[in-house]
Amino acid sequence: MANGDKIKILYIDDERNNLNGFKATFRFDYTVYLAISADEATQVLKENHGISVILCDQRMPDKTGVQFFEEIRVDYPAPVRILITGYTDIESVIDAVNRGHIFRYIKKPWTDNDVKSAIEEANKFFLTNSMLALRNIELQSAYDELGKFAYSITHDVRGPLLSIIGALELAEGIDDLGEIHELLGMMSESVRKLDEYIKNTHEYYKIKRGVLQFSEIDFNVLLSDIAALFQITGRNNNIRYTAKVNQQGPFSSDEISIKVILNNLMSNAFNYQRKNTEDKWVDVVIDVKDNKAEISVSDNGIGIEESHIDKIFTMFYRATSEENGSGLGLYNVKDALAKLNGTIDVQSKVNEGTTFKVIIPGSSHGTK
Amino acid sequence: MVQNKKLNFIVIDDSKLDCFIAEKIIRNTGKCDVIRSFLRASDALEYIRETKPDENAHTIILVDIQMPIMNGFEFVEAFENLPGNVVNNYSVYIISSSINENDLAKVHNYKSIKQFLNKPITSNNLSVLLK
Repeated sequence: MANGDKIKILYIDDERNNLNGFKATFRFDYTVYLAISADEATQVLKENHGISVILCDQRMPDKTGVQFFEEIRVDYPAPVRILITGYTDIESVIDAVNRGHIFRYIKKPWTDNDVKSAIEEANKFFLTNSMLALRNIELQSAYDELGKFAYSITHDVRGPLLSIIGALELAEGIDDLGEIHELLGMMSESVRKLDEYIKNTHEYYKIKRGVLQFSEIDFNVLLSDIAALFQITGRNNNIRYTAKVNQQGPFSSDEISIKVILNNLMSNAFNYQRKNTEDKWVDVVIDVKDNKAEISVSDNGIGIEESHIDKIFTMFYRATSEENGSGLGLYNVKDALAKLNGTIDVQSKVNEGTTFKVIIPGSSHGTK
Repeated sequence: MVQNKKLNFIVIDDSKLDCFIAEKIIRNTGKCDVIRSFLRASDALEYIRETKPDENAHTIILVDIQMPIMNGFEFVEAFENLPGNVVNNYSVYIISSSINENDLAKVHNYKSIKQFLNKPITSNNLSVLLK
């Protein structure tokens, strides 16, 4: 076990000799904190995080070990409590165990093995509980998102479908071919919107539940693959696309995450253009050095209103009526960056354009 | 109150197709004078605020619920805060794809909302408003 991974324990006893003896015996196996009184123990817990096991002598002048545990579990519920006591205190020990204040007791005089096995068991219990608490938080957030998805399906999926149904019913009564074509154009927009939603949901799942797979990324290749998807749209809408990749040295990261990030930022840059602007442009700059990638995606499009900027990464939030956003794109970007320990920064002005700057540290896992 | 007056419509929906369908179907009834569509609720609100109430016309507003920036309920809230002589010239109907119970229940919290209509709009459910 590495040094930093040692189990952290706190031992409380009113006799200095006992404290010193305890530390001498266990300091190689554990990180041992000592306290001579309940007050001092509270201070130690306040100043040191990650203490997983507390051992306390039952007989202390200011209060008993059971009393101390009873108090301390209010502010520090996580550390597992072990009482050290002689047979004469057995009644209060039984009471304390039954009331859930202590995990185990060690009877005096103790042997090294008694203490060690109690600490190991207590630490296992601590880890299981911590893991459970963490899983519960994850589970809660997954349920919250499921709720948002269920709600969004009635609008983002059902909406376009009902539009198409409505258009089909309407089309039955129309003889004019020009009008039919107009209707068809709008129907295909609805179908594309549905498809976009499904693709974004798939990306959401890949990012959320997928395991990161690190490989060496060549940004020149990656960017030209992604840009190929947008260049056709770009040419059709007269959007000038410029890209500059300056990659010095290897860079290892999760390719799927990087693709999701680039894809969404570029898709936004190409889509949220001002329709009547003569000179529309999208500019991508990628700099890679010192195991760090800096990506900037800029456009001179519609921009984002200042009051919406802090909400654009929220699930299903849409800051504009323009175009067919799903409200998932930037949420996925944020999620992907969180997994890669990356950061994102937005500069935007309405009717002037938007620049997203992303910084991603390369994986320390190295490449194979 | 609607009889003997000209009937206008305002359609508020962020989907261009839904606005288009609503306009066509309303037009086909032959009972409507002017139809205005707004992709943004805030634009519709501004229009209503700036327009002088027409004594000889009544306007039916069809508004979607889920729209970016200003949703249908936010629109209705702002609408209800307009002066009474403005509000009285309009009848508000929600038209939505939502099957969410909260949305349906919320409709009753607004006194200006006459009814909740399901999408897609058809000449049948429109005829209910025209009676």
